[in-house]
Amino acid sequence: MAKLVLNFYRLLMVLSCIAMVTAFGTVLLGVIAREVHWDIGGLDAYAGYSIAAALFLALPSTLKHGDHIRVTLVLDRVPAKLRGALEWWCLASAFCLSVYIAWYAVRLVWVSYATHDVSPAADASPLWIPQISMALGCIGFALSFGHALVERWRGGSFIAASADAAHVE
Amino acid sequence: MDFVIALALIVLLFAVLGSGLWIGLSLLAVALIGMELFTQRPVGDSMMLTIWGSTSSWTLTALPLFLWMGEILFRSKLSDDMFKGLAPWLDRLPGRLLHTNVVGCTIFAAISGSSAATCATIGKITLPELKKRGYPDDISIGTLAGAGTLGLLIPPSIIMIVYGVAANVSIAKLFLAGVIPGLMLAALFMGYIIVWALLNPGKVPAADAAMSFGQKVYASRHLIPVVSLIALVLGGIYSGIATATEAAALGVGGALILARIEGSLDWARFKDGLVAACRVYCMIGLILAGAAFLTLAMGFIGLPRHLAEFIGALHLSPFALMLLLIVFFIVLGCFLDGISMVVLTIAVLLPTVEAAGFDLIWFGIFIVLVVEMAQITPPVGFNLFVLQGLTKRDVAWIARTAMPLFFLMIFAVLGTYFFPDVVLWLPRQMQG
Repeated sequence: MAKLVLNFYRLLMVLSCIAMVTAFGTVLLGVIAREVHWDIGGLDAYAGYSIAAALFLALPSTLKHGDHIRVTLVLDRVPAKLRGALEWWCLASAFCLSVYIAWYAVRLVWVSYATHDVSPAADASPLWIPQISMALGCIGFALSFGHALVERWRGGSFIAASADAAHVE
Repeated sequence: MDFVIALALIVLLFAVLGSGLWIGLSLLAVALIGMELFTQRPVGDSMMLTIWGSTSSWTLTALPLFLWMGEILFRSKLSDDMFKGLAPWLDRLPGRLLHTNVVGCTIFAAISGSSAATCATIGKITLPELKKRGYPDDISIGTLAGAGTLGLLIPPSIIMIVYGVAANVSIAKLFLAGVIPGLMLAALFMGYIIVWALLNPGKVPAADAAMSFGQKVYASRHLIPVVSLIALVLGGIYSGIATATEAAALGVGGALILARIEGSLDWARFKDGLVAACRVYCMIGLILAGAAFLTLAMGFIGLPRHLAEFIGALHLSPFALMLLLIVFFIVLGCFLDGISMVVLTIAVLLPTVEAAGFDLIWFGIFIVLVVEMAQITPPVGFNLFVLQGLTKRDVAWIARTAMPLFFLMIFAVLGTYFFPDVVLWLPRQMQG
């Protein structure tokens, strides 16, 4: 069971990478298309869908890898007992929030489908199709927080301690 | 009553953030509570629409692409080459190879969007080289910590994209606005090294073997790859050929080709870089999603407008307001990262800033400069963490070595206030 779930996160991560490469390809194609005066409508919108997919599909892996940032100033300075309680609070509230988000992400796909909502950009794609990636990623995110709670209950740790400061800022 | 609500929400936000809940989720949670309590809107649906709208935008596409470009370059041999190309030229200045820290970071900043990446990439090559030649640790590490922050100010810059998207300001213009202040700051850092070297002549080791002019020029061939990448990315934006997003894609393409040519791009490294880029983007994206919804919620509750009115009623001069903001950001920077600082500011302070008559491009550069200072102030400063990883020294010690550069940055902020054209001149020259 655990193995199946881990493979699910991995699959989402692979899809996220593919989405990132797609965003790169789409933007590059747009530059080339403009130089040779070849009109492809809605490329901008496709680039947007791709990065949204890259973002949401990577959520569970990023959590597992310990890359989502949090303020640890207080956590690092309180007694172990209080720290444990705070960790439980964080995981539990994050789980509730992520389930809430996943529910409404799925609902958004359904609403877009039911109301035939199309993109306002030149591509005019039905929006529920790209929104599936967001729903899928959010489900994975909720699942991974559930997973983290179970692991913690068993005394283990789902979230890796972040090894190096991310190359962000 | 409004004031009490506003205060309660802000206190709640800091309590939730402080409890250790992931930052993006904290912003979402507070926004949810605010919306549920103070509006009649269908909260869940408007949350999801806002998140989808803010995360699937064309302008934001520049961000993951620049992150990916940085990850590719971080794994290449570029910084090695840069040191070889720069060292012969800088060895004659007072302070000698210490200048490779500043010049190296300045050049690398022009192809990297982040100060931690700049610091790490340049530091992993300059620190061992400087140590080998006997330069004192404190000055090599301190100047690197300061110069690394140029990664934020000199375009491309991740934090400028975040600011531009949130405040609805042209990212291309922000990028150009950062160029001159960035070079000015680099010059200040170099000036500091020169003064330090003249005051402490005993601490600067001897120069390497002298090279003839021809040999120096020949050594400079190592700089060709990096210069062509800068030309591709910044040239594309400045000439109006490419938007910021397109320049990012060109940069990724260029970085891939460059890494391929120098033989540092195999399948494993490509995969590594791509996965790292997706993860870092995901981390930032979660914060951006939370911030987008918080901004919406704050707008409904009217907090930013009330705050602007409140501060407006104080009749502060713009200068006093700026000083107040510097202090506020330095305190905030003690426990928040730069991106969260920027998005929170936009969510709450934008109307105040507009009412005070600050130009939004100028304010963008101001906020980047202040975030740079926050990078090297303990306890939370990403550059300090990077340098701690590289040198195994204590964060407080590293922060102390970087202190003089911190004061130079304050000086630079005041400079941009009294001479705003330092910031605003170049964007005005932009074509298109």
